Amino acid sequence: MSLSRSLPQSKEALLKSYRTRLKDDVKSMLENFEEIVKLAKGDHDTQLSRMTQCEQDTYEMHVRAANIVRAGESLMKLVSDIKQYLILNDFPSVNEAITQNSKLFRTKQAECDQKLMSLRDDMAADLYDLEEEYYSSINK
Amino acid sequence: MSYNSSVNISVEAPIENQIQEITYDGTEIYQPPLTLSESLAKYAQKIDFSKTTELDIKKEEADEAKSDTDSKDALQSSLWPWDSVRNKLRSSLQEVCVLADVLAIAKDKRYLILDSVQQEPIETKPMVQIYARKKALQGAANVLLTGAEKLKTSQNEAARNRATLDFHIELLRLRQNWRLKKVSNTIIGDLSYRTAGSKYLQTGTFEVTKAEDEEKTSSPPSSPLPGGAAPAKPASALRVSIPSELQGVAYIEVLCQKDQEDLCSANINLLGSGPPPSNPDMHWQQKLEAAQNVLFCKELFNQLAKEAVQLQAPIPHMVVGNQIMATVLPGIQLIIGLCHSTTGDKKQPNPPPAKSEHDHVLEHSLHQLLREVHHRNTHHPFPHPATGPLGPSKKRMMAGPMAADRYELLEMTKSETLLEQIVKQAQHFIMRMRTEYVLDTIAKEVKDPLISSHWNTLNSPTQSCVKINISTHGYDALCRTPLVIHVGEKSLKCICRDGKVMNMSYEPQELRDLIFCHINQHQILAVQALAKTMGWQALGNSNHLGTGAVEPLGNASSCLLSSPTGDRIIAVRCEPQAGTQVSVAHTPRTDFFPSRLVTEKKWEHLGGQFRDVRLEKMEGRNFLHKMELLMASLTSNS
Repeated sequence: MSLSRSLPQSKEALLKSYRTRLKDDVKSMLENFEEIVKLAKGDHDTQLSRMTQCEQDTYEMHVRAANIVRAGESLMKLVSDIKQYLILNDFPSVNEAITQNSKLFRTKQAECDQKLMSLRDDMAADLYDLEEEYYSSINK
Repeated sequence: MSYNSSVNISVEAPIENQIQEITYDGTEIYQPPLTLSESLAKYAQKIDFSKTTELDIKKEEADEAKSDTDSKDALQSSLWPWDSVRNKLRSSLQEVCVLADVLAIAKDKRYLILDSVQQEPIETKPMVQIYARKKALQGAANVLLTGAEKLKTSQNEAARNRATLDFHIELLRLRQNWRLKKVSNTIIGDLSYRTAGSKYLQTGTFEVTKAEDEEKTSSPPSSPLPGGAAPAKPASALRVSIPSELQGVAYIEVLCQKDQEDLCSANINLLGSGPPPSNPDMHWQQKLEAAQNVLFCKELFNQLAKEAVQLQAPIPHMVVGNQIMATVLPGIQLIIGLCHSTTGDKKQPNPPPAKSEHDHVLEHSLHQLLREVHHRNTHHPFPHPATGPLGPSKKRMMAGPMAADRYELLEMTKSETLLEQIVKQAQHFIMRMRTEYVLDTIAKEVKDPLISSHWNTLNSPTQSCVKINISTHGYDALCRTPLVIHVGEKSLKCICRDGKVMNMSYEPQELRDLIFCHINQHQILAVQALAKTMGWQALGNSNHLGTGAVEPLGNASSCLLSSPTGDRIIAVRCEPQAGTQVSVAHTPRTDFFPSRLVTEKKWEHLGGQFRDVRLEKMEGRNFLHKMELLMASLTSNS
């Protein structure tokens, strides 16, 4: 009983985590982009020499760009995760598939039965004739 | 150097003085040791006052040469040992005085101001900075572009290879056919028959993973042959891993064997016939189905083995390894084996010829029986509690209102085990085979009355029925003897022409005797029927003649026929062993010579001697034909 009650909770948590992941990733993309633009503007007074500052900016831009890419990949992963979750937990569609399958198999079974029946009848009739012929022939 | 723990070592100048000169006679003349003041002066000379001011190292280096000469001068002059020291001290005093003066002036700030020295600024042009920033942006853009490119290509790949199905579509297909659930990071599936009513303990879990597309990268897409074979089936994006005990192919082998000697060679045709062994690149659906089949076979065998051990049979069942042996009929064993080939070897040695036939029908019935058990486990007759795993049977529910007694209730609890049922089916199978064999051989042996048998189409696994017709070729309308034989599990039931029911055991000889007996009766009856149409009279017949030689099987049957005028009599006697004998008697004899005993012709009417007819010398297709000819000839003669 407790399992069934805790299950929706954990599912709820999972869904929430998906939502936060989505928001986090989008936010990370946006923030990183903003930071890159800010860096490109480049007006900040620091103690560092200009060249060092340039190097640092270059490095930071690279890292932030990589962050954006990572966030993109993470979004792809999220899409795949959500798909998987949907596939595994979409019980109505599964039920529908099962119903459809069982219907299909039932019709197939009926079809097979019918065919077997007609085949049996044909064979029985033929067998009777053949038996008749065989037993009244001279070559046995 | 000298720590407390270690030994103290004192460093001192060597006692020996420097050698000034060595005379010819070898005596060494030493320098006189320096006096205390001399050595002080020597050390004082070594003081380098210029070195203390470390700020102007350059200056010192420049002055080095000069100071060297100075020191040389000092050494050489050494008029006064402290001279150089004094000079240096004086120059330093001068410097200090100058510094003091400068400081005093600077303090006033009237004539002199001390100002910090401006460091020379590093010259950076603004363009350089812009270039650097541009380069940085370029780098960042590259990173972004490569990332985007990667995403785009993967997306394109998926779009282009719609035929090769993407993982999620495959997963959806899998989900529609199998039970799946996600446990932490893995997808676990279940292929057991648990939901279908199985109570087998072994779990049938499998794991679903995404297939790495290593083969895609390793094998470049070869151009399809023009008009050649269809391109190979695209690899599935999904991979299922099945526990090792469920891998491979399994099937239940059912054999009916006759003699004990054959027992050793029972499982020769392991792998002999069966579906192709599993290979790693099989489609997941087939793989899972194979695994499910393995599980099913294991459950079936397990159940049978359990029953075989528990059942109290007159001849106990044996369970040895993967084989169950049950005695069906005396001398005939039913062997049920579980064949499980785990190795996916394709190159198996040429399969040895199967010595004993594997019975597919019985295997199928075994499967059917277990499925019935499963079905019964899940489908309880209504009404039953919605959550209850058990429900009383329909009979049990009726027991209350019908006031069943203890005996009846006990009877209800008895149910047939799978093994009992399959043994019964096997028994029936053997019985049917034997009956078929007996009927066919008799039909082959006995040519004269035709014996035709027709097997009933409708039968059950434990009961079938055959209809036998005994008739004579060309005289079908005249007389035919129908027989019906019910083939059961261990016995035969024959319903004869006259409605008599004969029960027989499993021994085929009994049936054989019965058929032969009926053949004789048929002949006699047919002859009588023929006689009627020919206008002859049947004087009498007997199906079980008490006279004559004693037959080993059954009795002879006979009949007597007389011609329409009564002057000819035919006697027919049919024996299962000796066949048919026909004798003819003429009354009166055509030529009569009075003797002393028989004086008048009228006594000849009493009947005369029978003379045997040699049937084999007669014209005619069969016995009845011959009899017809015989009767016709005898009739016309009169």
